[in-house]
Parts: sequence; C-alpha cells; structure tokens
Amino acid sequence: MKYALSTLAGAVALTASLIAAPALAEDAGIIVYNAQHESLAKEWAKGFTKETGIKVTLRNGGDSDFSNQIVAEGAASPADVFLTENSPAMALVEAAGLFAPVDADTLAQVPQEYQPSTGKWVGVAARSTVFVYNKDKLKEDQLPKSLLDLADPSWKSRWAASPSGADFQAIVSALLQLKGEAATADWLKAMKANSTAYKGNSTVMKAVNAGEVDGGVIYHYYYFGDQAKTGENSKNIGQHYFKNQDPGAFVSISGGGVLASSKHPKQAQAFLKWVTGKGGQEVLKTGTSFEYAVGKEAGSNPKLVPLADLQAPKVDPATLNSKKVIDLMTQAGLL
Amino acid sequence: MSFLELNDVAKYYGKVAALAGVDLTVESGSRTAIVGPSGCGKTTLLRLIAGFEAPDRGRIALDGKVLANGGAAVPAYRRGIGVVAQDGALFPHLTIADNIGFGMARSEDKRMERIVELAYIVGLDKAVLKRRPHELSGGQQQRVALARAMAMKPRLMLLDEPFSALDTGLRASMRKAVAELLEEAGITTILVTHDQAEALSFASQVAVMRDGLFSQVGTPRELYFQPKDRMVAEFLGDAIIVPAKIADGFAISPLGRIAVDTAERRDVARIMLRPEQVLLKRTSREGMSGTPDMLFGEVTDCEFAGSVCTIAVRLLNSPDPPDAAAIGNTPLILRKTGMDAPAVGEIVRLTVSGKAHVFA
Amino acid sequence: MASAIDLTPSGLPAAGRQSRRSASWITLAAALISLIALLPLAFIVWTAMQTGWETVAALIFRQRVGELLVNTILLVLVAVPIAIALSVALAWLTERSDLPGNRLWSWLSVAPLAIPAFVHSYAWISLVPGLHGLWAGVLISVIAYFPFLYLPIAAALRRLDPALEDAAAALGLGPWRVFARVVLPQLRLAICGGSLLVGLHLLAEYGLYVFIRFDTFTTAIVDQFQSTFNGPAANMLAAVLVACCFVMLGVEVIVRGEERYARVGSGAARQQQRTRLGRAMLPCLLLPAATALLTLGVPFVTVGSWLLAGGVDVWRWDEIGLALGQTLVLAIAGALLATIAAMPMAWISIRAPGRLQRLLESCNYIVGSLPGVVIALALVTVTVRIALPLYQTLFTILFGYALMFLPRALISLRASIAQAPVELERAASSLGRPPLKALWATTIRLSAPGAAAGMAMVALGITNELTATQMLAPNGTRTLAMAFWSYSGEINYASAAPYALIMVAMSLPMTLMLYVQSKRMAGR
Repeated sequence: MKYALSTLAGAVALTASLIAAPALAEDAGIIVYNAQHESLAKEWAKGFTKETGIKVTLRNGGDSDFSNQIVAEGAASPADVFLTENSPAMALVEAAGLFAPVDADTLAQVPQEYQPSTGKWVGVAARSTVFVYNKDKLKEDQLPKSLLDLADPSWKSRWAASPSGADFQAIVSALLQLKGEAATADWLKAMKANSTAYKGNSTVMKAVNAGEVDGGVIYHYYYFGDQAKTGENSKNIGQHYFKNQDPGAFVSISGGGVLASSKHPKQAQAFLKWVTGKGGQEVLKTGTSFEYAVGKEAGSNPKLVPLADLQAPKVDPATLNSKKVIDLMTQAGLL
Repeated sequence: MSFLELNDVAKYYGKVAALAGVDLTVESGSRTAIVGPSGCGKTTLLRLIAGFEAPDRGRIALDGKVLANGGAAVPAYRRGIGVVAQDGALFPHLTIADNIGFGMARSEDKRMERIVELAYIVGLDKAVLKRRPHELSGGQQQRVALARAMAMKPRLMLLDEPFSALDTGLRASMRKAVAELLEEAGITTILVTHDQAEALSFASQVAVMRDGLFSQVGTPRELYFQPKDRMVAEFLGDAIIVPAKIADGFAISPLGRIAVDTAERRDVARIMLRPEQVLLKRTSREGMSGTPDMLFGEVTDCEFAGSVCTIAVRLLNSPDPPDAAAIGNTPLILRKTGMDAPAVGEIVRLTVSGKAHVFA
Repeated sequence: MASAIDLTPSGLPAAGRQSRRSASWITLAAALISLIALLPLAFIVWTAMQTGWETVAALIFRQRVGELLVNTILLVLVAVPIAIALSVALAWLTERSDLPGNRLWSWLSVAPLAIPAFVHSYAWISLVPGLHGLWAGVLISVIAYFPFLYLPIAAALRRLDPALEDAAAALGLGPWRVFARVVLPQLRLAICGGSLLVGLHLLAEYGLYVFIRFDTFTTAIVDQFQSTFNGPAANMLAAVLVACCFVMLGVEVIVRGEERYARVGSGAARQQQRTRLGRAMLPCLLLPAATALLTLGVPFVTVGSWLLAGGVDVWRWDEIGLALGQTLVLAIAGALLATIAAMPMAWISIRAPGRLQRLLESCNYIVGSLPGVVIALALVTVTVRIALPLYQTLFTILFGYALMFLPRALISLRASIAQAPVELERAASSLGRPPLKALWATTIRLSAPGAAAGMAMVALGITNELTATQMLAPNGTRTLAMAFWSYSGEINYASAAPYALIMVAMSLPMTLMLYVQSKRMAGR
C-alpha cells in the first residue's frame, strides 16, 4: 500500500506542478479588468509600466460581464482597476459600493462633465453615437433626423445594430434616461421588428459597407479605425451625427475606477492618474483608437468632429441604469 | 443434358489462380460434395455458382440456361439459387420470422403460414420465430438459414461448410436431417466442406479439390477405395501405401501376396490398403513357425482412446520385400476396437481382407 | 465524445477476492468523480428553484426563447439528415467501391475535423460576406461536423459481414434493395451515435453561428452572459438548452433500440469485395472532390489569402508564442486531469461492471454532452457564490475541461483496459504486489497507449474550445482560440489568420490519430 500511495502521490504532484506552472510566472503587478479596446489598454499599460516600472496584467472582457462579475466577486475581487467603454457598467459597480474614491489630483485632470458627481470614478475617454450609412443606398436627405425615427415602419429591415454589446446598451440607457421607460420599451419593440442584429459594431459597419443593410447605429471610431488601415470595410460608409441633443447624439463616457478591495491601491491610483494625464490622453490623440480624449489639456485626434460640435444631450453618467436596460431589451426579445 | 454444367471455369485473384479451369456436371436431384483442404478454391467455386462473383473464364449453365460465360454473368439475385453460409449469415437486425421470410414478397399470401411451415420442416420450434438470431444456438441458426434459403424454392442449394461450426454430435445429426430434407424437397444440392467424412456420408458424388483443380470426381465408394493418387487417398482417410510387384491379379508386397483390383502386370507399382482391411490375430513367437507366406508382427505401441485403439505393428517376417529399405522398420499404424486390442509386446498374425488398390 | 466508434464492452469477470479492497477504493473514487460531475446540472436546477417559478416562467415562455427553439430545432432537423446522407454516400464510396484514391478520399473526409468550426465559418464569411441565416448555418455545420458521422459509418461498413449481403442477393434482392434492407439497418448504431454527436455539437457551438448571424441557445446564453454575467435569464436559457440535450439523448436511445448489430456466429469475416463503379466512376468522384473542396479548399484558400494579405506583420511572434504556450499548458494539464479522473470509472466499467457502475458512467456521459457554455456558467456561479478562492483559477478552468471532455478520455481508456487481461493483475498480486501496485504494474502500464490516445482527444477539444475558455480563463490568459476570436471580432481577419493556421496545424496530428484508430478498431 505504501508503494501505491507514493505512486499516487507522484501523479498528484505532477498534476499539481502542471497546474501551478503559469501561476508561478512572477508577480502580476496590478490587475486591470479591461473592457476597453484591447489595443488601447495595452498601449496604456505599456506606457505606464515604462514610466513607473509597475507591471500591469490585463484581463480582457466586456463592460457588462465585468461589472456584474465585480459585483459578484465583491470584496474578494482580484481586480485593482476597472476600465470600461461606457458609463453604465461603472454606475453598476459604484452602486454596489465597491469603488474607492478617486484621488483628487486625478479628478482635477478631467472636466466636471466627464466624471460622475460622486467622484467614485473618472472619465478616461469618450465616444459618440453615430449613424453609419451606405452612401450608395441613402442620400443625405433620406437620413433619419432622430434616433427615434428608426422605430418607424418605413425603416423595417433597413438598419442594423449590435444589441448584445454594451456600446449599444449604453445608447439605450441614455434613451431611457432622456425619454423614460414606456417610450424606451416601445422603441425597443420597434427595433426588434425593424433592425438586423449583428455581433459587434465592426460587423455592423462591414455589413452596411457591403450594402447588406442601409445603415447602422454604432460609435464613431470604427469608421476612422478602418480608414486608418485599409479602408476596405468603410469605403462606402457615410457618418451621420444626429446632434441637436437627440438621444442619438449621446456621447458615452468610458470610465476608470479603483476598487475598494484593491491590494495595491497606490499603484492603482497611479495608473488611473497616468491614464487621465498627459501620457494616457496623448495615446488617444495619436494612437489608432480614435476615441475622444477627455483630459483638460488634451486634444483629440484632429480627424474627428470636435466633441464640442456634437451637441450631445446632457446625461449624468452616474444615473445610467444598465440593469433596467437589460431587462427591457430581454423583454423586447433582443436578448 | 445435366442439370448443372461447369466447363473450364477459372478465377484469378491477381496472378493467383483460385480456380484453374474446372469441369463438373451435377445431375438433377443429386447431392454433390466438394471437398478439399482450406484454400483449395472450393469456396470460390461455390461463389461463382451462386453468382457472387463472375468467372474470368469458362461457362456455367443451370438447367440449360447459361449463368456465366467468360466475364458476363447473371447476378446472384436473378439466379434463384439457395445458399447456406458457414455461420448462417442471419440478419442480426431481423427476427427469425423475418429472416425466414426475407426472400418472400412482402405481400405474399399466407406469408406467415409459410414461415411457420418452413420452420416446422427444418425442425424449429414455433416459439423461436419471435426471437433474434443471437438468442439461438448454432444448430438452430443453421436451421433458420436453411429455411430462409428454402423459402424461395430454389432449384439448386449451395451449402458452404454449414455444419463446421457445430459440435461433433450435432454435426452428424444435422447432416443427416438436412440431407433427408433436401432429398424430400427434390432440391439438387452442392455441399462444400473440408471434412472428408462429411463429404463421403452426405453426397452421391464427391469431388476432391486441390490447388484450384479437381483431383478426382466420383462416387464416395470409388474415391475411398480407388483413389487416383496418394493425395486423394490420404485426404479421404488413413492409408497404408507400399511398393509392390503386380501379376495375375495379385500383388507381391512387404505385406505378402494380396489380391488387387487390376489384371495388368507391372514390375514396379504402389498399392494402397485402408487400415481397416488389415486384420490381426493374436499368436505367440512359438506360433510364428507356420507356413512361410504367413505374415507376423509385434505390437510396439498401443494407445488406448476409449472405443478406438491405435496400434503400431512392426513386421517381423516381411516376405520378399522388393524395396525393403523403403518400408524398413516403419511400423504399420492400425485402428482397432479398444475392447480386444493386443497389448504392447504381443505377437500378431496379419491378414488382408478385400482387394488392394493399385495406383496408376 | 468524439469517438462514436462502437466499443463492445467486454464481458470479463469481476476481479477476484484479492482485489476486492482496491476495487472498493476505486469504486468510491469513481462514484465521487461522477457526483462532482453532476455539479453543473444540480446547479441549474438549484438556480431555477431559487429564482422562483414566476420569474422562471417569464424568462422561459417568451418570444425570444421560441425563436431560439425554432432556430435550434430547424438547424438540427435539416443539418443532421444532410450530414447522414453525405456521410453514408462518402463512406460507401471510400469503403465499398473501387473509387480511385479511396484511401486519400477517406482521409480527406476526416480531415475537416482538424479545422475548428469557427475557423470554417470565418473562412466562409470571408469568401461570401453576406452569408447568414439558417441555410448558411446548415451548410457550415454539415461541413464542420459531418466527419463525426463519416468515421463511425465508414468503420461499420468496413466491419460489416459481406456474407449477409451475399445471402440477401441469393434470396433475390437487387443491389439497391440489399443496401436498403441489409446494409442500412446495420449502420443504424453508427448513424445514431454519429447523429447524436453532431447534434450535441450543433447545440454547443458558438463561434460558427456568430459569424453568420444565426442565433441559437448557445449564442443567446453568451449574449446574456456578456450583458448580465450569470443572471437568471442566462441560467434559464441554459436550462432550456439542457432540456434540448436530454431530448436528443432520449431520442437517440429510442431510435437506437435494444438491437444487436454485431455479426452472429464465429470465425473471421471474409474480405469484402468492392463494387465496380464502371461508367458511374466520374460522377461518383465528384462527390468526394466537391466535399473536399468545400470543407478543406475553402478554409485553405481563405486562410492562405489572409496570410498573404497580412504578410509578415501579422506574425507577431511574442503574442503568438504566448498564446501557443498557454494553449499547450491548458491542453496538456486538462488532458492529464481528465484522464486521471476517467481512470477509476474506466477500470470498474471493465473489471466490475454492474448497475451502479452503469448509472455512474452515464452521469459522466450526460455531463460531457452538455455545451461548454452551460458548464462554464455553472462553474462561474458556483465559484463566485460558494468557492470564491477558486474563481478564475487555473484549477476551475481545468475542472471545467475535465467535465466537458471526460467521456473522450473514458472511451479510449475503457477500450485499452479491456485489452489488458485481469489475469495479469492477479498474477502480479500473486507475485506479492499489493493491489494498487499490481494495478499500476499491469493494467495501467498496458493501457498507457489508450490513455495517450484519450489524452490527445481531450487536448484537441481544449485547443479548439472557445466559449468555456472565455468565461473561465484566469487573468491574463489568451489562448489561440481566444486570440483568433478577438481579432476576427474586430474584423481584423488578417491578424486572425496565423492563429487559425496554428490551431489547424496542432489539430492535424490528433485528427490523423483518430483516423488511424478508427481504422484499427474496425478490425482490419
């Protein structure tokens, strides 16, 4: 029996060592739950590590799954920093009381309008809603005046979106905030009937470009990103901004926050400060993300329509309710 | 004209000749056995007759109709020839009743009645009809296969070693039952087997096959007592083969003067005796001093095996051996009933009953 | 689950008195593993009960679920019969006709398995960008999964006793009727097993259908998971999906029936003859050629052209190397864990078969037939709510893999243990080895090749796994499949191409092994 046990023990040890191998890889530094574009977050992490020597480990995912995950993890969350593409996810974590207050000098780097009143998190970038359309299929005078127009039966089977993505869900949360629950539910019902669902905003733009549908509701930077590469998926694309304080002119704020449960709060705060500071915002201006910079002194990429010209509706990012939006979309059969 | 005629039928697998040109005629209502060691081509021949394969050369005709000629052949399903394979080849996914009725038209009148009748004919209990093949014993499976083949009222029945998977006791009784059954139904039958006793007891005509050719075709009696050559002789049973000088209907051999089945005269020949033709009579060394043409031997070995006893006898006074060196001290191997077999060391007198066969 | 090749359980007698004690130990281990395997199922039931009936009803009886149900059912009902017809035709041509190059065609009919389903889809969407909906789903599903039917059908055809076909011909049936009444019924087991495997894969597949915008339960669950994490809506969709799996398992049991398909009688079956195609040769060649073109040509050309378009830039070796390394670690560790976990069950299923054992074994198969997304969802919920220290650890993802792929390891192990006679174990015991040591010295050593084969099958599954990996992976993990998915999601098809190529290259040897193994198991 002794021999047998030792053999078994050997097998177990072998398994254990295999299991442990990657975990032994060395100290992971701060862990960032990153729902932002991977390439952007990588640039930030690289720049930050270069300047401070603090290592950054990214776990990539989406706004909604991360926010829900952090809530589920509670105080035991391994995350130090949470970066999103949209505000509702930040609001969810904030509502659960899991964020530590952001350092004052970090908040000071960003204008009031790009941070929640609570100061529990801070805007790190921004993106605007846009209606992309196929220039061969739609003339400028045929474009919708408002996001709400897309509920009209005349738009049946003519437009697309990515309803399972947090981006679109953020737009819906703005709609909910601006027009109320009943109007939003009606609009979603009409959307279920009128729109074609794709997975991912890039795919929506590709489909519009290929003429599969006339237009689509996505964010502004996909067009610029593709133009900067080959332009293959955007050569027939026109960008239409709704402006006019329309729900469709919504500018979504990407947020960053430090978790109260962080085991490396100092480093985490430093990371957030760096991202909202000169270095991080410069990445937005010169990099390939084409998102808007939100830093006080930072400028955005000159190719973009200036933020100030977009006539976005005023929405307090802290009030965006992602849970309600998911419920409404689930009821409408979009999820 | 015969019922089944084969002329120069040949089949090659690559360069190997499975059949090198075979002729055979089978009379209507008769039973023919094709016997030979495994790999001799007997199964190939059966498959050609059945139509599973086409011959490369030669002609096969059944009841005046050409079934195969050169490469052209009527496919098996249009021949109406019954086949019972070695292990029955029952369809595992069908019940026994459906197996028996497989060849009948599904709309056939009284299909079930015929199935029951066929089952009765082959001696199957009605209760097994609802079962599946794997629930049956080997013997029952063979009965089903036979009933299935008989259901389509074949003119010719081919049996491919159908009894080889059965126990020794069952084998003999099945053989007898099948032979009677087919006889009653008036179905011409060809049996392929490697068991010579089975061939001899089953058929009215036996063909011994070797290396893709028939060595000899004839009645069982002819083949057993008058084989064409040593191979046929030994294949069909134990044989004592000795050199001899032939004259006036007698052979002068190491076993003395023995009557033979030919009148010709030859100085050098080989004769064959079946061991059961050699009779033994107990005597003693003293008793050996009789006439000089009497033959004596000493029992050197005796192997008791119940009903049969295998005895080795060394000849003591082989008279006038034409080729003494050839026979030398090789003892004769004989089989006797176990009851009165002589013991080792006993002296026996040997006599031969019947005639010896002279090889051509 | 990938091997649907029928393994006849051997009727070896239970182990003798000496090994009773070790047997009870092993039985205990097997029972424990089976119970742990039931965890995800139990969890789905528990969440449903916790959620409360009204919420459950609201989440299940809604239009969206109806749509998904219709989509999923149509997909299975259309794709599976097409896959059966294609596989039977191909298997017959490659195994039973004198089709020139039949060995090559046979291999080419298995090779599509080396290409992950989502890579097939990626290839097609690059070639025909507008491709979407049910028929696109059917097309790519058949292309990606028909080898699961081809393999067992070809093996069964090869094993079929030709004497039965001869007998039917002698009874007056023409070739077509022989095929319909004798050959096809005997392929039933192979067709049932293969169809079940294909059907379960259709239920579990995610990436394939995302590319072509075809929503099934699995894509909807992932959508919900991405929107709400482990919310009740996701769990209820998972419950419906599990119900679909059970319906499929049940249908298969009913259709398969209790029949015996092995040949009756003893002795070796005669070598089969190949049917001469004659003038039909050319049209017959078209089928395997067209299949190879669609299943292998399309991915080859599109991946190739993306690689050409991407040039050297897409080969970011630091990134690729990391992904490759992580994939290998996960695949090897997962395979090891699954094989070790399968050992006790494999051992008792051969050495001490019985009612309890069959019950335990079927637990493993049922869990293995659940989609990865369901198992991942359950594990996320369990770890987050009950065992947070295990959440997002390597242990949990390997555990998930073990649950998903245990049947693959079990099938291979069982077959090889069946070949290691119990007498050797007894002999070792009688020579003074204590029971476990005797087991190690004989059966385990002898079954090593089978264990290796099973491990390779598990590793293949892990390498190409996407959904569960995304949901369970520890921080910083980025497998080949994840990297591929992330790039193709950003329509960066060129950067995704190297990952597709590497996954195919890694899968090829394992697919080849599967092919060789199926040939060997067919007996000749």
